Amino acid sequence: MARKMTTQRRALKGLGNGVLVVMILWTAIPFYWMIVTSLKYDKEIYGYEATLIPQRPTMANYATVFRETPYLLYLRNSVAVAVGSTILSMIIAVLGAYAIARLNFPGRALLARSLVFTYLVPTSLLFIPMFALMSMLRLTDSLHGLIIAYLGFDVPFCTWLLMGYFKSVPVELEEAARVDGCNRVTALLRVVLPMSLPALVVVTFFSFTHAWNEFLYAYVFTSTTSARTVTTGLVNFMSQDVFFWGPLMASTVMSALPPVLMFLVFQRWVVKGLTLGGVKG
Amino acid sequence: MLTRRAILKHGTTATVLTTAPWWLVRKAHAARSAKLVVWNPAALAPQVDKIMQEQCYAYAKQAGIKENEIDYQIIGGPQLLPKVVAALEAGNPPDITRFIGGYAQLYREQGHLLDVTDIVNKMQKVPGGLFPVSLPGVMHQGKAWAVPQSVSPWTMVTRMDLLEQAKVEHPKTWDEFIEVCKKLQKPPKLTGFGLCLGLQNDTDNNVMNIIWGYGGKLVEADNKTVALNSKGTIAAVQMIADMYSKHKIIPKGAIAWDNTGNNKAYQSRQVVYVLNPSSIYAHLADSDKELYNVTGLMPIPAGPAGAIEELSTAEWLLFRHNPYPEVAKGLAEYWMAPENLRVMIEEGDGRWGPPYKGMYDSAFWKRPVFRHWRPMLERGRQFPSPGAMSPAAGEVLATFTIGRMMHRVLVENWNAEKAVAEAHKKVAEIYARHQKG
Amino acid sequence: MAISTSTTVSLPIPSSRREMGWGERVQRALTHDRTLGYLFLFPAILVIVGLVAYPFASAIVMTFQAKTAGAPGRYIGLENYRELFSSEQFLRTVMNTVVYTAVGVGVKFLLGLSMALVLNQERFCNNLFRSFLLVPWAIPTVMSALNWRWIFDDASGLINNVLVRLNLISETISWLSDPNLAMLSVIVVVVWQGTPFFTMSFLAGLQAIPKELYEAAEIDGASVLQQFTNITLPRLHPIFVTATMLSAILTSSAIQFVLILTNGGPADKTMIFSVLSYHLALGGAQRLGMGAAVSLIFFPVLVVFIVFLTRRMLREKGE
Repeated sequence: MARKMTTQRRALKGLGNGVLVVMILWTAIPFYWMIVTSLKYDKEIYGYEATLIPQRPTMANYATVFRETPYLLYLRNSVAVAVGSTILSMIIAVLGAYAIARLNFPGRALLARSLVFTYLVPTSLLFIPMFALMSMLRLTDSLHGLIIAYLGFDVPFCTWLLMGYFKSVPVELEEAARVDGCNRVTALLRVVLPMSLPALVVVTFFSFTHAWNEFLYAYVFTSTTSARTVTTGLVNFMSQDVFFWGPLMASTVMSALPPVLMFLVFQRWVVKGLTLGGVKG
Repeated sequence: MLTRRAILKHGTTATVLTTAPWWLVRKAHAARSAKLVVWNPAALAPQVDKIMQEQCYAYAKQAGIKENEIDYQIIGGPQLLPKVVAALEAGNPPDITRFIGGYAQLYREQGHLLDVTDIVNKMQKVPGGLFPVSLPGVMHQGKAWAVPQSVSPWTMVTRMDLLEQAKVEHPKTWDEFIEVCKKLQKPPKLTGFGLCLGLQNDTDNNVMNIIWGYGGKLVEADNKTVALNSKGTIAAVQMIADMYSKHKIIPKGAIAWDNTGNNKAYQSRQVVYVLNPSSIYAHLADSDKELYNVTGLMPIPAGPAGAIEELSTAEWLLFRHNPYPEVAKGLAEYWMAPENLRVMIEEGDGRWGPPYKGMYDSAFWKRPVFRHWRPMLERGRQFPSPGAMSPAAGEVLATFTIGRMMHRVLVENWNAEKAVAEAHKKVAEIYARHQKG
Repeated sequence: MAISTSTTVSLPIPSSRREMGWGERVQRALTHDRTLGYLFLFPAILVIVGLVAYPFASAIVMTFQAKTAGAPGRYIGLENYRELFSSEQFLRTVMNTVVYTAVGVGVKFLLGLSMALVLNQERFCNNLFRSFLLVPWAIPTVMSALNWRWIFDDASGLINNVLVRLNLISETISWLSDPNLAMLSVIVVVVWQGTPFFTMSFLAGLQAIPKELYEAAEIDGASVLQQFTNITLPRLHPIFVTATMLSAILTSSAIQFVLILTNGGPADKTMIFSVLSYHLALGGAQRLGMGAAVSLIFFPVLVVFIVFLTRRMLREKGE
């Protein structure tokens, strides 16, 4: 009986490793093509001379991106919007989550429930009226407008995430602090927040990458170059010249780095955050 | 116990934190500080983009406008329309942009454009005047609402070297054309005819060009009676379908091309023929001299009703939301001043045909490669011919009605009669709607 | 001054309001739950009302209007809806969205589960593999879409390139413009980008299952399959449901993939409701009211998912 188990186990191990290899190839090949295209000359990219491995790798495409497009501007804009919306949503969400988690007031349960509902409303539904709203408020073509628009998703989502986490901080710790003379606000700042550091990290990650990766609102709400982010600036580069895939892939590689790096660093917390957030195990 | 100091301290911190995002973006807010907002669609020949931008900045300098007061954007073709629509909705369209013929009438009808009659009158006074075909797209009740920018014949951009190699003559009829393509092409690397069939303007123009050759037309000369559904149209649609599915001389991917699809195909040497204005030719001048030298701009083959040439025009549209209309008007005039236009066209390697008759007497246009152009400018017809450019025609173009008709046949396997009948209905509905005012 | 550990006001109450100093007033507010609660919540509520509720309401209003860009809307009642429901393009869009979402989520689910099971096994450098396999999810969607559009390119794309080199095909395959392949190609990209989400969720769930259960089962002689069906599956069930519904909402409403890869074509074969809404509102026809109507018609379907999901998530948190 025991030997059968080992064979079964070994077979499963082998299968698992096989599947792993396939999965890794499946994930890696598109990345390979993206990076490799960014390093090729036009002649190696197009038509039937296209090579699988660059014969003469070049950084020319990267140079083109900086020379022909205001990529640094796009980058700066993306950073500004991502950081701005993260800070703002963090503040609003921390306050809101604390209120729902700890404070007693009428309407609390209803609010908690409506939070989840709110962030699930898709942007493809709201983008037309949001656009009309932004136009009315003269917030189109501005990064302020984008930051505000992103709050619509970030605040409910982050509030809900933090709410769950705050609830798990033991009440006794807070009460002890308040015995020592803290009021609600200081208790929040000195006790609850430090204990919720993982959750705060997750919230930061989600807000930042959401803003960085967001496309639809940025595309529809902004059209002047000075307000474009990396995601929307790229799309404009398409169809400008007939041959653009080299520089396009170069800018794609560069633009994907920040969220990927953030993810790799904060991975463990992110997964935990998702778990806590309601996808329980 | 909360002291005033504590409140102040915490209050300040809170305020600073909350307003921090605004500090970060304060420089980036693009309030309308620009005196000139230009959305120039990509010319598909980078040297032309550059010349136009340089000329714009030169004009600005002469008009006393600083560089940081100009917002100049070069926009990819497929993005222009959604951007303009979105901008109109937000109430801040650009000061000036360029559209292919038809859109000017559409936006004029919606009340978005500036009266530029004075500019057009000046243009008429240039020796030789303007080609008659430049005017229907901009005139309405005696006033001009857009500035004619160019007149472009749609020629068969041809790999003359391949024809020579195989010792074939340029085909005179569509039947001959099909045979030549079948002979010359070497799938999968080389296909015969890069006919654009995606959902954008090139397609509608290409297909209508072929429909004329079979006796079909969009609308009658009265500009009211829609005449799309006819034996001629059906025959033409069927012929294109055959080229695609039966003879396989059109690349399969053509039904998804955007306005650079056929350019790309020719410039990567994947097709023998493309039906296009001269953007391809101009691009090659800079990017691929070898291919440039063997490229010919040939007339279109004839159908049973003859070989009808097509012209399209392009116009500068000036939107009236502009707080500095004189600046935009000045730019349009500057760009269209014959000396500046000559530079743009000749150093731009013939990217467009100028709308001034007189300019064709120069050495540039006498070059052999352009020998078919001049007659085409006289004889060529515009998209809704025998009707004229109008808001309705503009909407037909803007909604890619003809392209959709082709997709019914090529993608959904409808028969030509059914597809043409449906398209006819759609066009009639559009014309009826614009009739109502 | 007595400080209590309860959450109610505990300051000595001044004889009249006017006697309270500034600091005391604030102090009072800061210890009074209700006031504090509303104060803390005010910004969040402002955001929700202003950026979600209001646009949503105005979307509804817009669907009853004929509105072109730059002009105020004109009331036309149910005209937009009537036109949509009798439009063949719209009905096809409904069908496409259902297929696209069902297949996309289904494949992501299965692949995500497989990946999670594999990553749950013990092996050398497992963390490294896990990190790598999850990366697609972090990339901006637009970039994956652009990358894959290039991979699928007719003439120069990776797939055709390889197939032609290996002499497996004589004619290039139009992955994105062949009506029979377009939807499939788009779904491939959706799966590539979105599977890590399922993998992450499932992996977290798997790792929360105590090892003792498996050991006990093994001692009792249960086979691997039996262990899977009797221990793993039931435990993962809540995550299965939550992740699937969340993904259904996100997948069906995503616009970038279709917009970049096929723009709804060829001939509306890949048209899903988010893209149709975009085309109607910002394409040549400029019919914003219609565009809003398209999204709104789909909303009830999403609401069912959302409500279900909301209740489930709240239940799990012990509300």
